Amino acid sequence: MKCLSSLTAILLVSASAIANAAGAIEGEVQRQALNISAIVIFLAFVAATLGISYWAARNTRNSSEFYNAGGNISGLKNGTAIAGDFMSAASFLGITALMFGAGFDGLVLSLGAFSAWPLMLFLLARRVRNLGNFTFVDVVSMRLEKSRIRYVAIIGTIVVVILYLIAQMVGAGKLIELLFGLPYEVAVVTVAVLVLAYVTFGGMLATTWVQIIKALLLMTGVTVLAFLVMKEANFSFSGLLQGAADNHPLGERMLSPGVAFKDPIQVATILTSMLFGVLGLPHILMRLFTVPNAHEAKKSAFYASLFMGYFYLLLIIVGFGTVYLLYNNPQFFDESGQLLGGGNMAAIHLSNAVGGSLLTGFMSAVSFATILAVVAGLTVSGAAAISHDLYAEVLCKGKPDPKKEMQLTRLTTLVIGVIAVGLGILFQNENVAFIATMPMVVAASVNFPILFLSLFWAGLTTRGAILGATLGLISSVGLIIIGPQVWVSVLGFDEPLFPYNYPALFTMPLAFAVAWFFSVSDRSARAAIDRENYHELLVRSEYGEK
Amino acid sequence: MTDDQKLNAIATRTRRRFLFSIIALVFYFSFALAWTDAGAFLSEPIGYGLMNGALLLFIFLIILFISLEFLFLRVAKKEQLKEDAQAAERAQ
Repeated sequence: MKCLSSLTAILLVSASAIANAAGAIEGEVQRQALNISAIVIFLAFVAATLGISYWAARNTRNSSEFYNAGGNISGLKNGTAIAGDFMSAASFLGITALMFGAGFDGLVLSLGAFSAWPLMLFLLARRVRNLGNFTFVDVVSMRLEKSRIRYVAIIGTIVVVILYLIAQMVGAGKLIELLFGLPYEVAVVTVAVLVLAYVTFGGMLATTWVQIIKALLLMTGVTVLAFLVMKEANFSFSGLLQGAADNHPLGERMLSPGVAFKDPIQVATILTSMLFGVLGLPHILMRLFTVPNAHEAKKSAFYASLFMGYFYLLLIIVGFGTVYLLYNNPQFFDESGQLLGGGNMAAIHLSNAVGGSLLTGFMSAVSFATILAVVAGLTVSGAAAISHDLYAEVLCKGKPDPKKEMQLTRLTTLVIGVIAVGLGILFQNENVAFIATMPMVVAASVNFPILFLSLFWAGLTTRGAILGATLGLISSVGLIIIGPQVWVSVLGFDEPLFPYNYPALFTMPLAFAVAWFFSVSDRSARAAIDRENYHELLVRSEYGEK
Repeated sequence: MTDDQKLNAIATRTRRRFLFSIIALVFYFSFALAWTDAGAFLSEPIGYGLMNGALLLFIFLIILFISLEFLFLRVAKKEQLKEDAQAAERAQ
């Protein structure tokens, strides 16, 4: 009977976990009992990070230090911070939940999230670092008509940051309600207050250290968890897989592809959105400017890969460990055969199964810390888009009053915090799966094409870039709306007009094609200047400042 | 270093960037083959136990990508040393 219920739960778990892995914990959650050890460990984390923020605040005296920590972070530290920024609670809880429900198919999201980093190193790290100061908008506006392309790139940044923030805040509220037994509103306000304390005073320096500490805690926790799972399996990976297959309702089938995803095109849409989406995420690209030079930027990407590769390899053990150790353990299921607290609790229940309440508390606290680290990174990125990209570079034509810029930066940070709380509460009962999908698709279809073309194609013109990015934005939002997550799940229609949740496989090539067509057909005087400017940009992108 | 020498070096680097990227992308999207009929063999267990080709491919891809990055950095470092030596020679 339990197996039958579990089977019906698989699709539900899978569907929510796919969205979760993109950036949110979504859907109905069951509030858990107050977890004292989790709260104690979390308070220790908060105390340590607030102490660091106090120290960072004394070293954050101007906008440059606020945006990029003065550019003094080493490649190793920055790579760890990138890993901390990117290995979200969604990666840990969402992917594990998907593996608990659908086995092997959960690994698609792991591979998608990881594989952007080699491309970041090969294509972007050196050139982006050499060309920009604080944001990727600096890079795309370098050889094009500055005001117009900045407006477009700023819109791309703000859309991605706001959508990502909504997904994170709703996810945070539900996750914390689930893990700590705190009310949703309290959880959302707590996240916002802590993030504001880090970012408003400590800027990128405090954010970096929050992300580094969180990355180390998460990797330690996952290492211990994986070790204890392997111990249960007598340190035999084959034994772990056999045990998982024996316990899962689908048996050996769950070790093979095809449970959650049936169609290779569907898999390709996810792979495209995840990989190219990461390459266009403004808060991730911004981290490339926190290092002193291009060499350290490349090292950052490599170390980030190394840490994330390790993390995602361990998730294989953790994911199949949930199947091996939870399905045959009635204490983790309710009377209807559902996992207590929902699929997203699989990794936390596994912590309990192999490490007792102390490890459960540790992993819960790390999951909370994870959200703080991601939201802090988003807040810095959003603040930089307004105070640097819009105010300093567009409105003040690159010559702002430094004091006013710093004041605006802190004010923007506060406003973003308030907006985050408002949106978090506003969307608390909404299906945010589509909001979690959008940032990756928009980043892949708007930010990545104009960034890539501005770096690698001499023919790109302002007109081509603006039209390509605009069409990329319209088509990606449009296809998400008529896709399954909005058309069916939110609007209630029987069948979607477009069959895929992640349309970047189609919208990104469209953005490239439009940018190409309107650039090659552009005969304006501005186009000639844009093409001429490429030579200088190219040399500077490889050799740095003249 | 003259402008032409810089452009030649950049052209070489760009070719290398695209070569590494294309290799990574080809392997990356090959993962989707596991969901096709042509890739059905990847679902079969390999040797002893339940380890199958798809799972092995996932592990292989992560290790391959990290190795490619390491190789890319090594080649870039070697090239940088060569460029520095040439610059020193020219200065003399």
